[in-house]
Amino acid sequence: MNVQQSKTAIIEFIKVNKIYPPDVIALRDVSLAIKPGEIVFLTGMSGAGKTTLLKLICAMEQPTKGLIEVAGHDLGRISLKNMQLVRQKIGMAYQDFKLLPKLTVYQNIAMPMEITFTPPKTIRDRINYLLDTLNLHGKADIKPDKLSRGEQQRVAIARAAANYPPILLADEPTGNLDRENSDLVIKLFAQLNRAGTTLIIATHDPVLYKSYPAQTLELSQGQFVFKDQATPKTATGE
Amino acid sequence: MNLHLSSIIVQTARNLKHTWGTQLMTLITVSLSVLMFSFFFLIFLNLKQAGGQISKNIRLIIYLNNDIPAAAQPQYIQKIKSFNKVDKIIFKTRNDALRQLRQQLGKDGDVLDDLTAGFLPPSIEVYPARDLVSLAKIKRFSDFLATLPGAQKVQYGHKWIERLSYFTQLIRLIVLLSGGLLVLTATFMVSSTIRLTVVSRNDELEILHILGASKSYLQMPLIIEGLLQGVIGSGIGLLCLYFLFNYIRSRFTGPGLMSIIHFSFLPPPTTAAILIISILLCTTGSIISIRKFLRF
Repeated sequence: MNVQQSKTAIIEFIKVNKIYPPDVIALRDVSLAIKPGEIVFLTGMSGAGKTTLLKLICAMEQPTKGLIEVAGHDLGRISLKNMQLVRQKIGMAYQDFKLLPKLTVYQNIAMPMEITFTPPKTIRDRINYLLDTLNLHGKADIKPDKLSRGEQQRVAIARAAANYPPILLADEPTGNLDRENSDLVIKLFAQLNRAGTTLIIATHDPVLYKSYPAQTLELSQGQFVFKDQATPKTATGE
Repeated sequence: MNLHLSSIIVQTARNLKHTWGTQLMTLITVSLSVLMFSFFFLIFLNLKQAGGQISKNIRLIIYLNNDIPAAAQPQYIQKIKSFNKVDKIIFKTRNDALRQLRQQLGKDGDVLDDLTAGFLPPSIEVYPARDLVSLAKIKRFSDFLATLPGAQKVQYGHKWIERLSYFTQLIRLIVLLSGGLLVLTATFMVSSTIRLTVVSRNDELEILHILGASKSYLQMPLIIEGLLQGVIGSGIGLLCLYFLFNYIRSRFTGPGLMSIIHFSFLPPPTTAAILIISILLCTTGSIISIRKFLRF
């Protein structure tokens, strides 16, 4: 991670401000550059701006001021078609999961792959793999409201990871998980990262960000307060 | 391409499954509208055809004071034809009339032996053109013929002709009204159903949008829904009409008026046109709703 502008960055923020009406400042002059394949932890207290930053990356929110580039596209000037392509490159695991209650676990996870017209067999194989990896065997045909919060969270992560996205954003991915299931999630993230996925993980969990040799950015009141190199305790979570 | 199609079909099937109650109601409404419109249209077409058949036998008889000399007949013909298209004009003298009456009486024709030809008036028989438009104008035609020089009176089966004409006009009006109803129900019902689908699937559509679904990926299943409503709804409506038509034909054929009228079903081009128009209306309803309510 490099706070300086970088031509090779996959995600770049230049003096980004986000103010929610009437005058709630979520982000203030935030600049960052993340290279492809990096892992970045975003930490900070609730309301520090972590979720807002993730939402800006996937263009769910528009900045009040500043420039955001993702995968080489200026999100402020991007065409609708390119916006769709950029979004297809991003997997997002939301804090509130955003699972569709009418669809089964299988159908929820299949969504990003269906959008990109992935062959049904590939979808089936990928979903079976993800369900196994995240300890969700036998849950494919269940509706999300029949699952525990921890299981719902893992389904949301499976959906974010389904399409091998070049960028994966995870908002509190282990917030509802016990240690054992957190490790499964981390193992999956590490696997994706080895395949080239850039990971940006917003978390409160010190065990998570202190266990990996990744960049940690702390946000406070919408600004980065410090950055440091995490201790390389377990390099890939494996 | 196949993957695109199968993925969109999966989406459509999912929509239909989640909103099947509303879809069914719309399907019934579209079917009934198509049935109603095509039923009245079928009656109208058959009446029009019947009018043509009946008009073959229609003639207006102008009874005259005196025989018309052969030299004057072309003037009469020209005058009659100037008002209306006619198929045939026959001039009958008093002798012709007597001969005809004798023929009609057959064996009892001898009752006429003591009578002279003078007791029957000469006449002109006018056979108007065989279409319903002329039939409807017959009253005015008759009034005109009554003004010809030497005309005493004009006779034709005016009462039932007027009734048939009135009834045909009424059916024409009903066809127009039911056509309007078909347009309204097909467009607005489908539009409302798609709106409900959009509202009920709003969360899903929003997530699909965030995940990078293209505009066509979001819209196509909804357009296909409208299209299916048109295909299935009009198909059921026309099928019901076909069964109804066969039932009526088997029950009501026999002597009398029904034996004169040859009932026939809608011609294939008309059936295809009703089907295509219904599909277009339902698809239009779907597109209207998408443009209005789909925010992505």
